[in-house]
Amino acid sequence: MEIFEAKNITKTFGGLTAVNRVNFTMEKGMIAGLIGPNGAGKTTFFNTITGIYSITSGEMTFDGVSLIGKKSFEITGLGIARTFQNIRLFANMSAVDNVLVGKHVRMHSSLIGQIAHSAFTMKEERESRVEALEMLEFVGLRKSDAETYAKNLPYGLQRRLEIARALATKPKLLLLDEPTAGMNPNETQDLTNFIKRLRSELGLTILLIEHHMRVVMSISDRVSVLDHGEKIAEGIPSEVQSNTQVIEAYLGKGNASKHNT
Amino acid sequence: MNPQIKTSITIGLVAGFVILLFGGWAVAVAGGMAGMGLGFFLGGKLTAKNPIDGAKEALVPTLVAAAILLVVSLLDDLVIATAIGKDPNSIGNLIQANLVGVLSLIFFSVVLAAVHTLPLKQQKIAQFILISFVIVSFPFVDQFTGLRWTAQIIFALIFTILALGLNIVVGFAGLLDLGYAAFFAIGAYTTGILSSPQHGIFLNFWIVIWIAAAMAGVWGIILGAPTLPLRGDYLAIVTLGFGEIVPVIFKNLIKVTIQEPLTCWVIPAITRLFGGNPTIACITFIKDVDLTAGEKGINPIGRPILPFIGEFQSDNSIPWYFLVIAIILMSIFIIRRLRDSRLGRAWMAVREDELAASQMGIDPVRTKLLAFAMGAMFSGFAGAFYGAYIRAIFPSVFDFSVSIIVLCMVILGGLGNINGVIVGGLVIMSADRLFLPALKDFLSGLLQNTILPALSNFPVAQAAVEQNANPILYRFLLFGLTLVIMMAVRPEGLIPSAQRKAELRSEEEIAADQAAAEA
Repeated sequence: MEIFEAKNITKTFGGLTAVNRVNFTMEKGMIAGLIGPNGAGKTTFFNTITGIYSITSGEMTFDGVSLIGKKSFEITGLGIARTFQNIRLFANMSAVDNVLVGKHVRMHSSLIGQIAHSAFTMKEERESRVEALEMLEFVGLRKSDAETYAKNLPYGLQRRLEIARALATKPKLLLLDEPTAGMNPNETQDLTNFIKRLRSELGLTILLIEHHMRVVMSISDRVSVLDHGEKIAEGIPSEVQSNTQVIEAYLGKGNASKHNT
Repeated sequence: MNPQIKTSITIGLVAGFVILLFGGWAVAVAGGMAGMGLGFFLGGKLTAKNPIDGAKEALVPTLVAAAILLVVSLLDDLVIATAIGKDPNSIGNLIQANLVGVLSLIFFSVVLAAVHTLPLKQQKIAQFILISFVIVSFPFVDQFTGLRWTAQIIFALIFTILALGLNIVVGFAGLLDLGYAAFFAIGAYTTGILSSPQHGIFLNFWIVIWIAAAMAGVWGIILGAPTLPLRGDYLAIVTLGFGEIVPVIFKNLIKVTIQEPLTCWVIPAITRLFGGNPTIACITFIKDVDLTAGEKGINPIGRPILPFIGEFQSDNSIPWYFLVIAIILMSIFIIRRLRDSRLGRAWMAVREDELAASQMGIDPVRTKLLAFAMGAMFSGFAGAFYGAYIRAIFPSVFDFSVSIIVLCMVILGGLGNINGVIVGGLVIMSADRLFLPALKDFLSGLLQNTILPALSNFPVAQAAVEQNANPILYRFLLFGLTLVIMMAVRPEGLIPSAQRKAELRSEEEIAADQAAAEA
């Protein structure tokens, strides 16, 4: 069953076409990899899905609902969450508060309720806090880290906290933008296993942009390749690895022919 | 030197300075205030584990401060009073005042320090009782001692409400608003229009104050909406523009005409276009109504009436004092709960990173508009109280300098910290309204009685000193200087919020500060 479908997505900035007639579908429960050289339009594609950019033309549906014209927070409400290429945590808020912000969209206390401390508000706050702490534990932060400012956490934990914050929005589709950037091989391996766990334990559908080929190839059910805003290849990892066009995109034409011989 | 003693000396000297300026019974009030401040400070540093030991530990630094207070006070009465041409206190008065001052300093300091050793809950209760005792007794002590500070303190408290409201917009949501006085004006003018002979409407103050707050809140949304796409500097400029426009509009709303557009403009225009002569009667709702009385201002505005107390009078500050305290307590209550709620977190998230916040499911438009509305609402309360208290409002009162002073209170006190903002508001306004005038009286007394006679042989110097020795002239210079020094030395404010501190100081610096404090 298809959970996400994009048809003929195009995004232009003035004369520059960042994403060009891309078709993309995801089935429920799959892990899809999105690769491509720098400037290929991967992050722009993410940004069109999450409503930062409105697309120039095309159609996009999630769970049967059109995403066209929806605002970012409405899209999060539908069940799409993301992390960022360069970590964008709320640096001067504690780890647990970061996660609670993610919970915001699933909370319903009214303004009056918040001022009057209505029974509903208090219950919701208590439960959300407990859930947020559980979420931190799930992604691998210690209890003692919960009250630490996000900016004071080590880099690896910041990456994990960002995932916890995204998970707190209760997503069905999780978009990870280069989750292993700047990590050493050990940390990368841990995170790869963790992403697998996200699917097996939470039943998430995951789309990830990644430059670490070993990571993408080992966990993706399907890999799509973007170059100059166009999708040039798609398939299971082994197919994509041997695709001439892909090798050309990464290494240039001359190298590609050398590789083939 | 041991930091406890150092602080006691500082606080003792500050209190001494207050006594020098005001003389007489000021020693009683200054002693009490100094005791409160010292007690809070010493309490945080105690090593003792139970109240008795804590009291013993706090006693020595407290006595140092008390000694300074006593020496300065005696010096003031015996030497300085004659130098500035004031009648010294009678011996009986002198003994009484100093006894009260020194004892209240010792009492408050030792007790407040000692309660710090109690478990947190009891400590909060004890502090609450002591502070409410001081707040409640202040106007009566003030009246008894004849200091007459209450009327000025009420002004400081009005501005504190404004600072609390602005803190929501600037401190919590991070939206730099340079036109906050606009909402103060809207609150005050709503009160003026609905409760004065200007329109013959005399609504009860207790109703008007809510209407004024609601009106300010609605205008917070209306004026906030166009600024939403803007950030940082650009937002500041646009709010500055609104802050300038609103008083001008109030100044010019002196001939308001509202007509029905179809019959008055559209149909006559079409008729003329075809060469006809418009005959249709124009429906006019109001014609040439003087809504705000322009520069003359609205006067007199209705005052609050309560059973038993009757109508609040201008010569009796005590009911006004308690009314403004009640408004502040209500504001603190609401603002605290907002800060710790889901909305408060959303404000903080938008301040930290608006894009990330919107990607995490926060509606930035709604969140920012609520910040504008909530912030404006509190200035509506302040405006309504101000209108009723002063009884007359003029457009010139709500100019740019009000917005800037309130912003300075917020930043100086500690952006984002409710207690800090209150302290900032009280310090700046009481410096402006109480201390500068007192300093002026002190200096002119000193000049007339001591310095000018001494300079009688040098008429040029005499004239120069006489002209320039008026601190009121240097009001903005002193204010600016304070800001420059504060921002250089302690940019996070007097009592910073934890976030703000984390933002402005690196971890190592904070650790070093703590280490220095412990050593």
